[in-house]
Amino acid sequence: MDITPYPKLFLANDLNEALRALRELADSAIPLAGATWVMRAPLRCETADRTLIDLSRIEALRTINIDQQEAVIGALATHEQIANALNGYNDLAALAQAAGHSANPAIRRMATIGGNICTAEFAAADLVPALLALDARLEIEGLDGSRTQTMAAFLEARATRAHTDLVTRLIIPRTQRTSTHARLTLRKAGDYPVANLSVSIALGAGGKISAATVAVGAVEAVAKRWTGFEEAIIGHAPSPEKMQMIAKTCLEEFDGRDAMDAPGWYRLRVLTGLVANAFSTLQETTLGRAM
Amino acid sequence: MQNTADAAVMNFPRRDARDKLLGRTKYTIDVGGSEVIHAVLLRADVASAQVLRLDVEAARSMPGVRAIATWEDAPGAHGIGIADHPIFARDVIRYHGEPIAAIAAETLEQAHAAAQAITLELAPLPAVLTMAQALEKDAPLVHPDWKDYDILFEGAARGGNVAWEATVARGDTDAAFDRTDVTIVDGVYRVGRQSHVPFEPRAVVAAFEDGRHHIQTSTQVPWTVRHVTARVLNIPESQVRVTVPAVGGGFGLKFDCSLEPYAAILAKKSGRVVSLVNSRREEQMTCLCRENAEIRIRSAVTADGEIVGREATVLMDCGAYGGEQVFLTTMTAHTLGGNYRLGSVRLSSRAIYTNTPPNGAFRACNGVYNTFALERHTDEICDAIGMDRMEFRRHNVVGDQDIGATGQVFEGDVLRPMIDRMQALCAKHPNGRENGQRLDDGRIYGRAMTVGTWFIFVGPSAATVNLNVDGSATLVTSGVEIGSGSMMHALPQIVAAGLGIAPEQVIVKTADTDAAGRDLGVGGGRTTVSIGAASAAACDEVRDKLLAVASEMLQTAPEQLVLADGRVEIRGRPGSGTTIQKVVAEAETRTGPISGSGAFTGPGIEAMPGCAAGHFIDAIDIPVFAVHDCELAIDPDTGQVEILAYRVVQDVGRALNHRAIHGQIQGGVVQGMGYALHEEITINDQGCFDQTGFEAYRLPLAQDVVPIEFDLFEGAPSCGPLGTKGAGEVPILNVGATIGCAIANATGKQVSQLPLTPPRVLALLDGRDEPLALNHISAIWSDNTLRR
Amino acid sequence: MTITLTVNREERIFSGDPRTPLVDVLRDHLRMTGTKAVCREGFCGACMVHVDGAPMASCLLPVGSLDGAAVTTIEGVATMEHLNAVQQAFEDHDVVQCGMCFPGMVMTMSRLFQTNTSPDRDEIKAAMTGNICRCTGYERIIDALMSIRTNEVTS
Ligand SMILES: Cc1cc2nc3c(=O)[nH]c(=O)nc-3n(C[C@H](O)[C@H](O)[C@H](O)COP(=O)(O)OP(=O)(O)OC[C@H]3O[C@@H](n4cnc5c(N)ncnc54)[C@H](O)[C@@H]3O)c2cc1C
Ligand code: FES
Ligand code: FES
Repeated sequence: MDITPYPKLFLANDLNEALRALRELADSAIPLAGATWVMRAPLRCETADRTLIDLSRIEALRTINIDQQEAVIGALATHEQIANALNGYNDLAALAQAAGHSANPAIRRMATIGGNICTAEFAAADLVPALLALDARLEIEGLDGSRTQTMAAFLEARATRAHTDLVTRLIIPRTQRTSTHARLTLRKAGDYPVANLSVSIALGAGGKISAATVAVGAVEAVAKRWTGFEEAIIGHAPSPEKMQMIAKTCLEEFDGRDAMDAPGWYRLRVLTGLVANAFSTLQETTLGRAM
Repeated sequence: MQNTADAAVMNFPRRDARDKLLGRTKYTIDVGGSEVIHAVLLRADVASAQVLRLDVEAARSMPGVRAIATWEDAPGAHGIGIADHPIFARDVIRYHGEPIAAIAAETLEQAHAAAQAITLELAPLPAVLTMAQALEKDAPLVHPDWKDYDILFEGAARGGNVAWEATVARGDTDAAFDRTDVTIVDGVYRVGRQSHVPFEPRAVVAAFEDGRHHIQTSTQVPWTVRHVTARVLNIPESQVRVTVPAVGGGFGLKFDCSLEPYAAILAKKSGRVVSLVNSRREEQMTCLCRENAEIRIRSAVTADGEIVGREATVLMDCGAYGGEQVFLTTMTAHTLGGNYRLGSVRLSSRAIYTNTPPNGAFRACNGVYNTFALERHTDEICDAIGMDRMEFRRHNVVGDQDIGATGQVFEGDVLRPMIDRMQALCAKHPNGRENGQRLDDGRIYGRAMTVGTWFIFVGPSAATVNLNVDGSATLVTSGVEIGSGSMMHALPQIVAAGLGIAPEQVIVKTADTDAAGRDLGVGGGRTTVSIGAASAAACDEVRDKLLAVASEMLQTAPEQLVLADGRVEIRGRPGSGTTIQKVVAEAETRTGPISGSGAFTGPGIEAMPGCAAGHFIDAIDIPVFAVHDCELAIDPDTGQVEILAYRVVQDVGRALNHRAIHGQIQGGVVQGMGYALHEEITINDQGCFDQTGFEAYRLPLAQDVVPIEFDLFEGAPSCGPLGTKGAGEVPILNVGATIGCAIANATGKQVSQLPLTPPRVLALLDGRDEPLALNHISAIWSDNTLRR
Repeated sequence: MTITLTVNREERIFSGDPRTPLVDVLRDHLRMTGTKAVCREGFCGACMVHVDGAPMASCLLPVGSLDGAAVTTIEGVATMEHLNAVQQAFEDHDVVQCGMCFPGMVMTMSRLFQTNTSPDRDEIKAAMTGNICRCTGYERIIDALMSIRTNEVTS
């Protein structure tokens, strides 16, 4: 049947309404969160006439809860909300910084974490490497129930994901680690990053790195963990110089993406500088106190 | 002019600010409402093709469609120098984005839908996308029929893909290069295209009223719009009226007729008011950019730093149609041929056709990149002969009675004292840093000082001043307020000074070709000078009439009367006279209302006969000089460049409005920083621009800029009113040069290209890039000209 | 679809495609043209309005999402006689050029000064990241704003 009861923008009042609408409209509808990606479709010359299932009224998806065990962030939380709510938590700093320095103030006020991670075409997302580095899991809901998934698994299947499911929450385990996010933009600020990096580490005896998760975005089409580097830094003191030296030996894991803003070689070339920046931030802010 | 009146008009704040701050100002893009219908252009999406079939019948019957126009509606071609440009593609498409049809419909969506319904069949043709390709021996010609075009200005060499060639030859360069006591320095330079990005895109609203076209448009050149529209529509110019609402930025982009004829045709065909506005994407993709250019300079210099010979070739990409670049070939003589005394010189300045979107004029057009090339080349000379960069400049800059490239004689020592002033300005902030030094944060420090020569574009302007019964004056000109403030600051100030009234009492009428006389337009820094001079002349006539009446009323000879504070006073006896209102009222009973008209066109400085060929102007009427200094830091890990300090000494003739000039310097230098560091339009293998919007085309943001420190150099000779020169155009002139030279100084590397984006700087530092080679520009100068 | 929203304290009704960006509703339907659509991609800030008090880029806001929201535009922040402090500083320092960016600048900066009455130069610049001006080169705008910081006024 052609005639649907849905207007071209449907304000769902709750999750079920949204899921039902997505199921009924199938390919002719997509979820709408902060709209900052979707509304630029005409500029990308996308002409599909799709119904927007607006999630913004679903209050339950907006909340951020942080306790001793985990931080649970609703998919509709905006970058601004996240930066504010996570401020002061050393282990969550990578996400707070990624959210607090991306884009520009008005966009941070509008764009959501759900939208940031669900946009498959967007290689330079800041929140994605942060979530990878913080070992976040996603909660995904469909009409047939909910499940959770690791970021890595989600990213792998993202491009072909069914639009009938919704990302509802991000769950980040709390740890004793410290983390940070570093990004390089061609201007001082306001651009998409040409490369970004999130680091989360734990220090063991003698201030040596005992555990590390590091993720890199924008360098390739999809952000990923930098596993060779993670392994190589275990047992070292986290000095920026040392870390940068090690990073230089671990670059073969990446195949730099050539795009209009920067060639692939440049993204790789600047990555080690980002490593140094990230570790000096870690040193200055958090580790400094501990050491 | 009396000093009191003079002081009373200084630093007048602009009166359009409040409405702009309240969102009340109506720009052309804001004209609308239910009576207005909307137009779109169907544009080509290939760079070069034969049109096999164009059928608009199906589109005509689409919902809401009110009119469709194609080449049949616009038979004429236009251009500068050569009439090579039809407004619609007919048999061939020459660039990606070229208009093929225009459609007006009740709504924008309907117009777009109708455009989709037009049938267009194309057969691809080979395309030349770069100047190197265009100059290859058997390159396809962008205009195979170039010989048949109307020539609008005689004297140039043309041929094949060379749209226009202007040459300069003064003295015997062969002999100079053959000397045994000279060092020969050879350099090549390349710059990309810069997009103006005025915040208001090109936009027009047209109506057909009482048998004539009325065009409201966002333009810098109402009279050019009138002329070109009439020419392409093949109608008398008198049938076109152009008026100009507030213009939301121009920077030269709106120095040409662009969308206006399409809207005019559609308005007549539909009988409706038609609005045509470029979407941002269209605006970007068809921007009449500052052209990409390729330059080779060779110089023969003696050990003590005398430039005995210079030969240079400048290739300017004009895109598919000659446009402004044809004119701009002229400028090379004064920009690249400027700054320094030259024993002998040969210049070839060529506009080259390619299958790319046409280029246009952009603030200090041609000067910006030629100054970059010239100043980089100058530093290379200094390195080659082992001379200090400042000493070399101080020694060689043109001064009083020196001759320029085309043999014009310069008046006054201006550049040399300006260099002194710059050194004094810099001396206020000693920091002991040296080029190449590592700063505490590991970044590399660089600094450079450069000089630049620009000019004020004079030419015809007309003004009428009506003195009103209430003592106010109305100034009627074809001037346009594009944002720079010259219509808001300088003109009311000049009229107020001329009539002894407050600038608040001067009403400045917005441009209307039905009301004011002809004018070349707002650009080239000419408003204050040309329109200002015409306005001052109009004031003189008003003054004479006013004083004649007052003389009888006050029984005092006119020479004994002064105008100040809205009154006519007997000299030396304040309060003795009467008000301007009373004199105007008296005049009305005797001869009628008081008005005056004035005109200006420029003094016409002479060049040396026979030096210049194919030039639109052989000498520059009002030279303008600039000295810039920049300190910067380069991050060796990222190639990012941060400007630490930027200083300007600018030749302004006379500063009427310090704050306004400050605004122009800050804004112009920042646009130059964009050009030097980030802004570049690149063209892909489809002949289409890569940077279609703000995400990819990176304009400077607040965090990328610093406050510009400046010193205004007053007193250089100028025929401008009150001794002024235009101050708005020149601030951008040597920014690319200064930043380029500072980066070269910091890194010790050969800097030959702009912009210096972080990837390009990092490639330079890492030695990753091949040195620039421009093999299509021969080291033998005469190979680079058609006049061989 | 019919959408009701409050624009400058007045209730307005829009019927049409709910995906229409707010900026077009303001400009084309309500004919409030002070809000400018310059880039339509969130970078320039010329389209900035306040939605429930917070500055947002109206080119990226589908009007349908705003049913029931309160929108303030540049037309709603001041009267012709009384500019707000930010506008007044811009006028007093004579910083306006073409003016196209200023409605957005005013909306962003008015809000900044509500939340932080004495921002420093860097904070002002950071807050201006999403407001581009092609004409002025920013610094004089920032000079003007520095003059209305509370410690500026009191000291
Ligand atoms: C000017 C500008 C600058 C920017 N700079 C940066 C930057 O520096 N760093 C950065 O990371 N990002 C940047 N962005 C991108 C921005 O972060 C994304 O546009 C944004 O995160 C998308 O979120 P949204 O809520 O607006 O998503 P929407 O546009 O609403 O949606 C985006 C996509 O995600 C889908 N979607 C949204 N929510 C869900 C959900 N819960 N479940 C399933 N699917 C969903 C939608 O269907 C759509 O396909 C910038 C954007 C702009 C406009
Ligand atoms: S028009 Fe909305 S941010 Fe530029
Ligand atoms: S004043 Fe023109 S864009 Fe800011």
